[in-house]
Amino acid sequence: MTPDAPNFAPIRKGLLEFLVLRIVGSECVYVPDILRRLASTQFATQEGTLYPLLSKLRRDALVQYEWRESEAGPPRKYYRLTDAGRAYLASLNDYWSQINRTIEDLGRPPCSE
Amino acid sequence: MQRVISVSLNRNVHHLEEDAHARLAEYLARAQRRLATYPDQAEVLADLEQAIADQCTRRLRAGQSVITLAELGPALEEIGEVEIPGAAGPLPAGDAAAGVRAAPAPGHGLQQISEGAWISGVCNGLARSSNLDVTLVRVIAVVLLVFSGGGMLLLYPVLMLLIPYAPLAQNAAPLPWLPAKSRELVTAIRAKFATIAG
Repeated sequence: MTPDAPNFAPIRKGLLEFLVLRIVGSECVYVPDILRRLASTQFATQEGTLYPLLSKLRRDALVQYEWRESEAGPPRKYYRLTDAGRAYLASLNDYWSQINRTIEDLGRPPCSE
Repeated sequence: MQRVISVSLNRNVHHLEEDAHARLAEYLARAQRRLATYPDQAEVLADLEQAIADQCTRRLRAGQSVITLAELGPALEEIGEVEIPGAAGPLPAGDAAAGVRAAPAPGHGLQQISEGAWISGVCNGLARSSNLDVTLVRVIAVVLLVFSGGGMLLLYPVLMLLIPYAPLAQNAAPLPWLPAKSRELVTAIRAKFATIAG
């Protein structure tokens, strides 16, 4: 079974919020930036998924946005983390390293004898 | 020959051929249905309209001003159907997000939600924090109202005064009269209490 198997879809889906928070935490971005950064990964997603997610994160006071003028068309929303968002991301990062350690530990020692 | 229909996407005018217009209307109606109980429905729809406008404009050839299915089809394909975060999609059973939620996100406590509220947003907020459908919560509230012989009539204002309000969506449409007035009144009473309490 390859990692792209449907069994892993819930994992990818569940991690999307974490990854979006990481991207928004690394720079002030607008939606096409986020899509581009995810496009080449296992987490490639679409605006139909991203806009509702960002709006939920904003309602949870984890991200906020500001309007910026663009050369073509109407102003764009640029997202960044709030203080609460940064704190939440830090706890998610910790939790993620714990999960990684658990996964590593459970695979050791190799059952070779 | 196709008839051309002008539409406003996020408050900018765009021209579409008739069949492209029909496809767009279907897509937006579907998005609206999926977002029906979503507190930021209007904001997300505006974001999507803008995304559609951008995608189509980018695909227009030089000198072409009318959007046809040839532009709209791939544009909608790229944008994808609306997915509510955390909602169970066409996936194997199990809460997709359960694994990564170390702790509930801040701001997830019980709040009143004014958008889509009937009175002040108590039921709306209870529905979100309990993950129940808001209609179900309202039915329960009305049943309790009937069976408590009016006791609920007292409970609602108490909850209204005690439960904090969720922040309003940025750039949202103005609230209907009753939720707006309730929010105003509760905010005023709280401010009074705050000054009395010193």
